[in-house]
Amino acid sequence: MTMNSNRQGKKRFFVLSIFFFIWIFMIAFKLFNMQVLDYTTYMAKVKAQINRVEELHSKRGTISDRNGEILAISLLSKSAFISNKDNELSLAVYKKICDLLTLNRSQKMNIVKRIRRGEKFIWVKRKLTDEEYVQVKALASSNDTAGTIDFIDEYRRVYPQKKIASHILGGVGIDEQALGGIETSLDAEIKGRGGKLKVLIDARKKIFQFKYMEQPVTGRDIHLSIDAALQFFVERELAAAVDKYRAAGGAVIVLNSRDGQVLAMASNPDYCPENIWCTPLPVLKNKAISFLYDPGSTFKIVLAAAALENRVCSPGEMFNCHNGVYTVRDRQITDVHPYDRLSFEDIFIQSSNIGAACIGQRLGEEKYFQAIQKFGFGHRNGIMLPAEENGILNPLAKWSGVSLAFLSHGYEISVTPLQMAVAFNVLASGGFFIRPNIIMDDTPGHSQVRVLSAANQRRLTEILTAAVSRGTGKKAGIAGLEIAGKTGTAHKVKRGQYTRSYVASFGGFFPAHDPQVTVFVMIDEPQDLHFGGDVAAPVFKAIAEKIMLYLKLFPDIPGENEIRI
Amino acid sequence: MNRKGRSLADFRLAILAFFIFLVLFIYSSLNLKNVDLGYRQHELLLAEKTLRLEIDSLQARRAELLNLERMEKIVVEKLGYQYPEAGQIIKVIEDDNE
Repeated sequence: MTMNSNRQGKKRFFVLSIFFFIWIFMIAFKLFNMQVLDYTTYMAKVKAQINRVEELHSKRGTISDRNGEILAISLLSKSAFISNKDNELSLAVYKKICDLLTLNRSQKMNIVKRIRRGEKFIWVKRKLTDEEYVQVKALASSNDTAGTIDFIDEYRRVYPQKKIASHILGGVGIDEQALGGIETSLDAEIKGRGGKLKVLIDARKKIFQFKYMEQPVTGRDIHLSIDAALQFFVERELAAAVDKYRAAGGAVIVLNSRDGQVLAMASNPDYCPENIWCTPLPVLKNKAISFLYDPGSTFKIVLAAAALENRVCSPGEMFNCHNGVYTVRDRQITDVHPYDRLSFEDIFIQSSNIGAACIGQRLGEEKYFQAIQKFGFGHRNGIMLPAEENGILNPLAKWSGVSLAFLSHGYEISVTPLQMAVAFNVLASGGFFIRPNIIMDDTPGHSQVRVLSAANQRRLTEILTAAVSRGTGKKAGIAGLEIAGKTGTAHKVKRGQYTRSYVASFGGFFPAHDPQVTVFVMIDEPQDLHFGGDVAAPVFKAIAEKIMLYLKLFPDIPGENEIRI
Repeated sequence: MNRKGRSLADFRLAILAFFIFLVLFIYSSLNLKNVDLGYRQHELLLAEKTLRLEIDSLQARRAELLNLERMEKIVVEKLGYQYPEAGQIIKVIEDDNE
């Protein structure tokens, strides 16, 4: 009995052991299969579950003015889309969204069409404002939408100062692609570079390990040399003048006389950078750098400088002004106010075209051409903005018999307002040609070339001061503040012909004895009045008053701490 | 092997087992710590990103509030200030705090 039960026990133990070993073998085989034979398949499954590569968007750099006031910044925003699984449900949800968001008729029609076609991914609205997102999110979280609405993170470009400095800033499109201004010219630096992050996620989709595959590079922050407050004043005065004279537009440039930094650059008409994509092309044109025109009498400063530098005229020398009509070959040159004789200085103070032609003829083509080039005409100033024009300066070989006489009072040459501002700044800076710059980080005055001796600069400044105090630029004068300036009125060229439309301009700097600021004003096609002294000079004065108060360039104070405006 | 020799061998075995356990314990603890730090690091990364976004948002809000047109409207309409007119005499107050 005992032997029997003992044998049976051994048999059971043996059978159990067999099963146990088979079980162990199966587990071992499975493990071997997973770890060795099918390693690649299982590893791929694991990797697919826990590994993920996240795209990191680059953020465009912030653009600010010289005082750090923000002009353009990118904020993270949400873009809403419909994840269309059921057409009927999507249409019902979309109707609810339409009550929350402002969408135009064509957008609505387009989205409905796409839902009916059964498209799976449909944008509803990109770059929602915070208020819109809160409303749509509430709808997306409700049970009846059943995951139909979803969101994607995108950066939205915001311009807090709205229209201010629009032509300098430019703008970006819906995909943050640069569409003009500094956004375009420095796009490569501002936009930065996106990155890739490799992450490991757990069952709850929480990241527990990550590694940068590509480090994202944030766009460079740009500090412009402009002063937002000055820009605001300048734009407003320009807009008022354009409105008053029913002009086609205008431009104003304000430069720091010492280092050539642009303190303000206005162009009218203007636009809001946030709506750049729907702004008509002519409005996008920055007239300060892209508008070409014959400068007229403001260009006489180049002639005066060349005449003084080449010593072809002596101080006080009298010139015959032919009583207002002078013929060069078959072409007539006239003066608005006829003069019999004028001194060298008075030719510029009274802005005599005939006197200027006589000085030009004495100077000669070659010397004048060289002077024009030294003042920076005929090629770009290299300011960091797109679409800057070269201007048109014919090579000496192409000058006709009358070119010299006409160039002497600012015809047969096309310039941009910026080129004229830079030319005036030669006098303001003590005789140096300084390339203008609009970025604060740039080395100030990195390119200074003397084109006028200090003595001649002082003489010319005296002449231009007299032009404001008793000449054609009287309307630019401010009591107590010495202003040096020159008026300009020129016929506009359309389709190669001079027309009866005008460009009025005024360039100057102040305080004349110690220039701090150079301002150039150009008004395109003013109506009713068209002389630079009547149209542009008052704009200069209005701007100079604001600058004077803002930069505290107070004139000599008559009373105790009192100034007269 | 006598009794004394057998107990010494058992002792060595116990020490070895303890040592292996210690190594495995430290190894697994460090691995768990590593995973835990990974979670923490990612949380901090997200927090930093959130803070940066918040700073940007606040800066934009500040800039919008300081919009010059808006400021001028407040100064002129609410505070009653005006730009000086031509010929007007104004008093300049030197402010050392400026």
